[in-house]
Amino acid sequence: MELNINGQRYTIADEPARPLLYVLRDELGLTGTKFGCGAGICGACTVHVNGKATRSCQTMVTTLADAQITTIEGLANGEQLHPVQQAFLELQVPQCGWCMSGQMMTAAALLAANPNPTYEEMIAAMRYNYCRCGTYARIGRAIMRAAELMKGQKV
Amino acid sequence: MKKDTRPQRWRMSRRGFLIGLGVVGGGLALGAVFGLPAARLMLADMFGDVIEIPSTMPREPDLWFTIRPDGHVLMTMPKVEMGQGVHTALAQIAAEELGVAWEQMQVVQSSSRGPIADGAGTSASYSVISLFPVLREAAATLREMIRAAGAEQLGIPLAQARVERGVVIDAERPERRITFGELVAQERDWQPPSEAVPLTPPERWQMIGQPLPRLDLPAKIRGSAVYGYDVRVDGMLYGAVARPPRLGAKLRRAAPGTARNRPGVVEVVIRDGFAGVVAESRLTAYAALNDLELDWELPPPFDLQDIEQRLVAQAGSGTVIQRQGDAPAMLRGGQVIEAAYRTPLAAHANLEPQAALVDVQPDRVRAWVSTQSPVQVARTLAQVLGRKPETVEVTPTYLGGGFGRKVTTTVATEAALLSAAVGRPVHVGWTRTEEFRYGYLRPPTYAAFRAALDSSGQIIALEQRHVSGNVLFDLFPAPLRWLFGSDFGGWRGARLVYAIPNLLVTAQTVELPLPTGPWRGLGLLANVFAVESFIDELATAAGIDPLDFRLRHLPENELGQRFRTALETVATMSGWREAPPPGRARGIACSIDAGTIAAHVAEVGLVDNRPRVYRVWAAVDPGVAINPDGLAAQTEGGIMMGLSAALLERITISDGRIEAGNFDRYPLLTIADAPEVFVQILRSGDQPFGGGEPPMGPIAAAVANALAALTGERRREWPLV
Repeated sequence: MELNINGQRYTIADEPARPLLYVLRDELGLTGTKFGCGAGICGACTVHVNGKATRSCQTMVTTLADAQITTIEGLANGEQLHPVQQAFLELQVPQCGWCMSGQMMTAAALLAANPNPTYEEMIAAMRYNYCRCGTYARIGRAIMRAAELMKGQKV
Repeated sequence: MKKDTRPQRWRMSRRGFLIGLGVVGGGLALGAVFGLPAARLMLADMFGDVIEIPSTMPREPDLWFTIRPDGHVLMTMPKVEMGQGVHTALAQIAAEELGVAWEQMQVVQSSSRGPIADGAGTSASYSVISLFPVLREAAATLREMIRAAGAEQLGIPLAQARVERGVVIDAERPERRITFGELVAQERDWQPPSEAVPLTPPERWQMIGQPLPRLDLPAKIRGSAVYGYDVRVDGMLYGAVARPPRLGAKLRRAAPGTARNRPGVVEVVIRDGFAGVVAESRLTAYAALNDLELDWELPPPFDLQDIEQRLVAQAGSGTVIQRQGDAPAMLRGGQVIEAAYRTPLAAHANLEPQAALVDVQPDRVRAWVSTQSPVQVARTLAQVLGRKPETVEVTPTYLGGGFGRKVTTTVATEAALLSAAVGRPVHVGWTRTEEFRYGYLRPPTYAAFRAALDSSGQIIALEQRHVSGNVLFDLFPAPLRWLFGSDFGGWRGARLVYAIPNLLVTAQTVELPLPTGPWRGLGLLANVFAVESFIDELATAAGIDPLDFRLRHLPENELGQRFRTALETVATMSGWREAPPPGRARGIACSIDAGTIAAHVAEVGLVDNRPRVYRVWAAVDPGVAINPDGLAAQTEGGIMMGLSAALLERITISDGRIEAGNFDRYPLLTIADAPEVFVQILRSGDQPFGGGEPPMGPIAAAVANALAALTGERRREWPLV
């Protein structure tokens, strides 16, 4: 079957049925999407499927034949970082960085759907992504900052 | 430095002494002269207040730095980057003395075979403390060599040449200049300076103390940073290892069963006590584990109660780790205040599970491992595979969290055994269930206190009996365990800083039926929770404000002054003297670890009868912060991790098995429960102390103290619900 990932088409084996995460990381070498729990709890494996934040460890590739998949490797527009990436860099959010792809993909999906989130809406979207290094305070600030950056870029 | 090549061997070699040998030899000698208990107390004094760590690392600059003709300085990093920002901090120290611009600095990770491979590993918040003098000297030496070469090239006396942003400049005619890159591009007989090199005085520091951006973040932002779980090479396979049904079970017999029939399975590897599968994909390898025929010898089952029952202070059996006056005598009769505190078994929950890629070839072994201890891993692999140490090279990757769980990295051994069997590179990456159940845990602690106050409310006597499972003892040879008597990792943070005329602290290490080991800060978080909760209880008994009570008991020395400044700063930041918002209360606590002092105030309330931490203020005195934003990040993160541990986390055991197999049974703190954190970094000198662990020390106690103030009820056990 074929998958559309970051605007490119990839041909993968139909069988066996397996979660997208393993195809991305172990078959296609797109290791920016991380394994954390394999149970859809921690959020480290979050990607976009048709623009929606999706746990790739819980999503079988067989369901993705016609889907547009975006991973962290496809979040930036070439050299131009996505506003969420810009803000995470500006506020020096990551520590170990392992959860960060999932954090940024979740945040980018939130801002695409709701460019002006309240702080409470931001928390509601981000509360299912673990960060063991405890960067939560900066994550929150960076997402609000990214929303500002996006406004600026539209003008 | 001749065009990226090494200059001649350095004549100078100023190696420090080996800390391990120094301690054993010195300790044994002390024991012979003073007797064992006194020797143990002296060792406790040494290890309890340790702030100067002798480093065995070489100071020859060519081992650390390569200057490229384009002017970039490539610095080799002996320490592992696990999110603590150590690569950036060490590069800042070097850039300061090199006299180059920040944009010129590039870093590369040393493998276990490099000339600055670091047997000490990356742990205990010692990286910056121990390497600060080494790096300054190495970098200044290189700068002086380049300055001399530049002066010669410009035809000016050495004194007339100054260095600025990677350029040697004629101080009298600043338009005459030559870059470091141009100088190293020339053929030249580089000479090490004959005299001791001058170090940049602190008042002229331009890099140290600046919040420079982390060098590892651009790659982490794009998802291109390579962690142990991410290493991919041509021809690689994936491995999985059979796990015991109960802790301590031994594999008696194993057979491949139907595993070899499963499509994608390459090999089944069975050797003494070990059974694993190598396959084309990770999912196949794990699925094939179910096809194996395994016969386990099960030890008797145990549960949490069996473990907690062992954590009792037995009179007379602890090692004395702190003593003043005669506390036991002072606590006979009269009014004695008593309390005991417990902390549970806990997981590290590093979000990147254990991971290693190992390629065992006939002539050499290469490994890429998510480890805090690459040199130790290389040693282990050489031993297990029966290879010469010089043929084994381990390169540490970025770590998706370490927190002490990657000090010992058995996953590399597993990948090596599997790779040796198939002659191809094999990657093993643990599942979350393996990460919870088959590694090691933070040991539980128990601390029992007794104290007496005089009529003015001063503590006249205090006794603490501290009990912990192993933290570092499993890594120590038996003679060293005997010498120390108790595990100093277990009691880290249990000694009191306060001036108490009669003080006795004993520490006891108990064997538990499951592996325990280092967790961020070792005993720090648990032990400061106990000590600083009890101090708060004494303040309440004395009827004195908890801040004032602490200030009154600080010693009249430099350390006491540093604590005073930190406590007063955090009090001002938090508005300690003003009433908290309605329905909330504040608690205060402080600690010292690896030389760094932290003072926290936590503001808590109750939501649905559960603690809710709204705001935390932290004043942190690391001597001098190399990168204040980095230290602030470590403080914020340490506070969140400490809150998670104190409010939510507890490993339970049933039938000899850890019950949590994923985060559904072991939830972590999320952004929804994260407090606002306000950090102020203080400066008390020119020597940097530890950064990765110390700032988290007081958080559990600050929250417990706030909850007691809020409810009038003291919670002496985690989780603090």
